Amino acid sequence: MAMSTTFLSGPAEQLRARVVGIAHGRRGRGAAGGAGIAWSGDLFVTSAHVVTGSHATIVTPAGRAVPGEVVRRDAERDIAVVRAPGANVPAVVTGDPYGLRSGSLVFAVGHPFGVRDAVTVGVLQAVSPLPRGYGLNGKGSLVWIQADVRLAPGNSGGPLADVQGRVIGVAAMVVSGVALAVPAPDVERVLAGLT
Amino acid sequence: MSDDPTTLATLSEQLADAVATAGAALVAVHARPRLPSTGVHWKDGVVVTTEATVRRDDDITVTLPDGRRIPATLAGRDGGTDLAVLRIASGSLPVAHLGDPATLRPGHLVLALARLDEGGPRAAFGAVSATGGKWRCWKGGEIDRWLQSDLDIYPGFGGGPLVDATGRIHGVNSGGLSRALATTIPVATVNRVMTQLLERGYVARGWIGTAMQPVQLDPATKQRLKRAGGLLLLSVEPDAPASRAGLLVGDVVVAIDGKSVDGFDQLLDVLGGDVVGKKLRLEVARAGQLVSIDVVIDERPRRGR
Repeated sequence: MAMSTTFLSGPAEQLRARVVGIAHGRRGRGAAGGAGIAWSGDLFVTSAHVVTGSHATIVTPAGRAVPGEVVRRDAERDIAVVRAPGANVPAVVTGDPYGLRSGSLVFAVGHPFGVRDAVTVGVLQAVSPLPRGYGLNGKGSLVWIQADVRLAPGNSGGPLADVQGRVIGVAAMVVSGVALAVPAPDVERVLAGLT
Repeated sequence: MSDDPTTLATLSEQLADAVATAGAALVAVHARPRLPSTGVHWKDGVVVTTEATVRRDDDITVTLPDGRRIPATLAGRDGGTDLAVLRIASGSLPVAHLGDPATLRPGHLVLALARLDEGGPRAAFGAVSATGGKWRCWKGGEIDRWLQSDLDIYPGFGGGPLVDATGRIHGVNSGGLSRALATTIPVATVNRVMTQLLERGYVARGWIGTAMQPVQLDPATKQRLKRAGGLLLLSVEPDAPASRAGLLVGDVVVAIDGKSVDGFDQLLDVLGGDVVGKKLRLEVARAGQLVSIDVVIDERPRRGR
């Protein structure tokens, strides 16, 4: 089939099989707070603000709840790592956000307002500190992937990917309407020693 | 897998190429507190941005694609079309490649671009939503073409260009002209307003010096004059084209240049564009009779700014 009819459906399907829901606590009570990414083995990456305690429950794409333990948290970079043995979710492939230019197509997978594995599409704006005038309580000087893609509560911790479905960042928040994601290399730094 | 990742990657590359091409002609305009806006290097030494983002007349600078910050001077502004024009040193950066907005159809891929700082150009992605002919915006200016898109005009994107998938610039995006969808001031309007701002620093608007209201004629007059209604003169300013031509309060203008009048649109149409000095032939119902009066359009006096 032509690209015009399939568009991102192939890469999206592949990535959706690698995105999980994250719920608070051991039993996963309450609605899934955000999304998580099967990063490697039994390690799942999400946003630090999604997992507030030391335990979290992974909800696999098949809908299975698997208890997990928060093994690392970087509040400054807003990244947390959850180990959930037996979750058995295939890992994502990561990509290099610095290799993309402004205007490159990107897409996000997450659970905006609880809608499971929703795909939103847009383009990259920049991989840099935020422009002056975009307020972010001092965190604007960190390097963020900035994208013109729609994110909502429930996307946090989910992937932002290039057209091939390679994960270039972890969706974190929206500032002045612009989607912000933590660059994959920064996530790897948080993971250092765990994998 | 049924998709073709190669073509999709090609599209992605093409969009990035379009951003790079058009982005080479963009500057960040520092003419307000905090966040800069975007300007398009429309022709050599001339930068166009939106009027609403130019909050001061002096101490304006622009950041070039290479990161240098250079001074700019305000050539003029036109609130009616939300455009402002700045002069910068000649040869500072490449000139915009302009497209023909008439070729854009709803559904075409487009990008909104911005330059906010020393970093590269920024992009937002979407499609043309609606196109059409000439219209008059709420700020009073005449826009040569209706061109709206579903692009998000992020903070600082105002004054930036609407760009097609090949990198051609079709106009300047205005955050202030409409709320529901992003509105683009098309190339023709930018060219027209820019020319006037460079020549005289403002856009001259046609004026005859009257206040009017649409009215229906009474049945007897309607029958006799074969006209339904027109514009009733409520006041005539002294030393204005209308008073010089002998128009009186109470006159009803029923036709302009042979075309019947039933509201303001016809009048605004003949007063729009480059019309100062042009003669209008008004057909006026006065005391039950039709009289013909010629009025020479003058330039609307500029109050304050």
